[in-house]
Amino acid sequence: MSMAAEPNELRDDVLNGLRLSRQLEKVWRTPSGLVGALMSVDHKVVGRRYILTAFAFLLLGGILAILMRVQLAGPEKTFLSADKYNQIFTMHGSTMMFLFAVPVMEAFAVYLVPLMVGTRNIAFPRLNAFSYWMFLFGGCFLWISFALNVGPDVGWFAYVPLSSLQYTPTKRPDVWAQMITFTEVAALAVSVEIVVTVFKLRAPGMTLDRIPLFVWAMLVTSFLVMFAMPSVMVASTSLILDRLVNTRFYDSSSGGHPLLWQHLFWFFGHPEVYIIFIPGTGMVSAILATFARRPVIGYPVVILSLIATGFLSFGLWVHHMFVTGLPQLGAGLFTASSMLIAVPSGLQIFCWLATLWDGRPVYRTPLLFVIGFIVIFVLGGLSGVMVASVPIDTQVHDTYFVVAHFHYVLIGGAVFPLVGAVYYWFPKIAGRMLSERLGRWNFWLAFIGFNVAFFPMHILGLIGMPRRVYTYTADMDWAHLNLLSSGGALIFALSFALLLVNVIYSLRKGELAGDNPWNASTLEWATSSPPPPQNFDRIPVVKHRDPLWADNESLPVVAGLSAERREVLLTSLAEAEPQIREASPEPSIWPLLAAIATTVFFIGSIFTPWAVLWGTPPMAVTLIGWFWPAGSKEDEE
Amino acid sequence: MTEADRRSRLLYWAGVALGPIAWGVNLQGVYVLAHFSCEKTRMSGAIVSAVLAIVSLAGTLISARAVRRGAEAEWADAQGGGPRTFMAWLGVGSGVLFALVIANQLAASLMISPCLR
Repeated sequence: MSMAAEPNELRDDVLNGLRLSRQLEKVWRTPSGLVGALMSVDHKVVGRRYILTAFAFLLLGGILAILMRVQLAGPEKTFLSADKYNQIFTMHGSTMMFLFAVPVMEAFAVYLVPLMVGTRNIAFPRLNAFSYWMFLFGGCFLWISFALNVGPDVGWFAYVPLSSLQYTPTKRPDVWAQMITFTEVAALAVSVEIVVTVFKLRAPGMTLDRIPLFVWAMLVTSFLVMFAMPSVMVASTSLILDRLVNTRFYDSSSGGHPLLWQHLFWFFGHPEVYIIFIPGTGMVSAILATFARRPVIGYPVVILSLIATGFLSFGLWVHHMFVTGLPQLGAGLFTASSMLIAVPSGLQIFCWLATLWDGRPVYRTPLLFVIGFIVIFVLGGLSGVMVASVPIDTQVHDTYFVVAHFHYVLIGGAVFPLVGAVYYWFPKIAGRMLSERLGRWNFWLAFIGFNVAFFPMHILGLIGMPRRVYTYTADMDWAHLNLLSSGGALIFALSFALLLVNVIYSLRKGELAGDNPWNASTLEWATSSPPPPQNFDRIPVVKHRDPLWADNESLPVVAGLSAERREVLLTSLAEAEPQIREASPEPSIWPLLAAIATTVFFIGSIFTPWAVLWGTPPMAVTLIGWFWPAGSKEDEE
Repeated sequence: MTEADRRSRLLYWAGVALGPIAWGVNLQGVYVLAHFSCEKTRMSGAIVSAVLAIVSLAGTLISARAVRRGAEAEWADAQGGGPRTFMAWLGVGSGVLFALVIANQLAASLMISPCLR
């Protein structure tokens, strides 16, 4: 396939082989040097930074978890003070949810989606760079505050009135609320990019029913982010306004209502669980198909399940509020919808099991993590159906039973697939294989450690141990189970240390991966490992849902894109028919400067409302610089 | 494209659209009718929900017909490349999904007095 060329412009249909590769690399590469690195808009560079930063936050959040487990390993320990413990459990939850779980999933999407749909860069690459800087600055802001003893101590949900000025007159809740704004801006930006990339930048022939399941999962997740996250941004902004200028959204004595906070927070908070879980299911589908050596059974069923899960996730938030005194009938209806969401999740699990059953599975490390996911997530789902029921929830609310449940769902549903995804896609990203032997140790330590750490918490909850207590007395009879749980947590932490060792070792000495070491079927494996700056020398044409299995030797391509400037091909939404060639933005320092200006504005505005006044002009200047016509061909069109 | 083609093309998408539209109308409708339901007849909300659940299920039927008429063979070899049939499959599922969600709201209108809202 070839597109009409403009005269006098060098295009990829007149160059071949090494000459074409070199020319495209020259056009698409990130400029060298520190300033060049800061200007990068390459989705792979930004994606790698996102992944590394999110894992750094995982490490920090994990260290906090270990500190908590050391404190709780025995009764009346004084390892942590009550105040420090409050900060630590808040920091742990906030870090894991806002700085690790959501960003790391989006990070993988930033890296992989453009490769999987067969394009050269993500849509809105400068926005992508801006998003990363916002995420980084927001995370650093939270952790620097913690280091300065201003870390939030009001829980990752920051319920009012506890987080109101009256009950917490320090800056701690402001830090939490503004960190939310940072990370949500970043997440929203990535979501917009993913949606547009999937809708408009797919390779020709990649019709809606040929989109890889991981990409479908990220598409659904992106819509969830766009509908859910504005709710928590409204909540956190109104909380700051309450604290800074007495707007009284949540002050019942002035007509506000504390329950409004819970509604706004959980309208975001419950879909958040699925924002974390749905990408995990996409990873599972990708890994499973490759290692079962057959396509996932029930492609349309899996997609419909993803969409149904996404939609239904907005109708469950009240099950987090069963003990707030809401009318029982309403609570009963939310019980029904909470149970309804088990149906699409169950359908997906049956599709995966059928795929394994009908395939010829090869039990490499990524598949082990997927099997671990299925076991742990099903257990978490079962306790989820239990807490969806009002009478049981009323009994176990705010106990360790709930802690056990959501760690089974979140670690089982997201972290196990994620670690599997690290083993699966590391060869593509780094060009080298991770050690299989260390990988198997990694899996078994993680699986055993996780269950030893979190299963006893079910029992602790049932015998009455409440959440968020920094210690307990010896006569409560919780000591043995807590000690067991702490031991399990150490084993679980060890598994991550092993992953880190494996990554560092394999980066230097790992076996060279080659283009497609797993004999996988999707387009990211059609290019070299690691991929070149332009991703593909020529844009592939897709004629099958599993293009590399259908036509591994000679993948058809489309030619005619510019070879002297950055250009991508736009295709139609449903049929992915080629429509127009579109310029893709050049590297720019302005996204970083805009993020710095926004950071100054955000941080200033928790100290003084005047920051809105003096903080806006620098942002305006950076945005003007960002969009200022630079005389490139892109601007002329 | 012939008139018959155009009509059949529309039918592929009708199933996907009817469920969400029915749910949206139901969500707004029961709020709009709340005052009327309290003053006149408490069944009005339930009737609206029941009708709209049927509309959503009609979407499922339309999509199912489109699937039957369309290239079922496309699915057998898992090649893909039939986005309209694919959307019709999604229409089959989304009709059932939205009918279930509307039924949940229907249950509410049967159990809760409209005057209590």
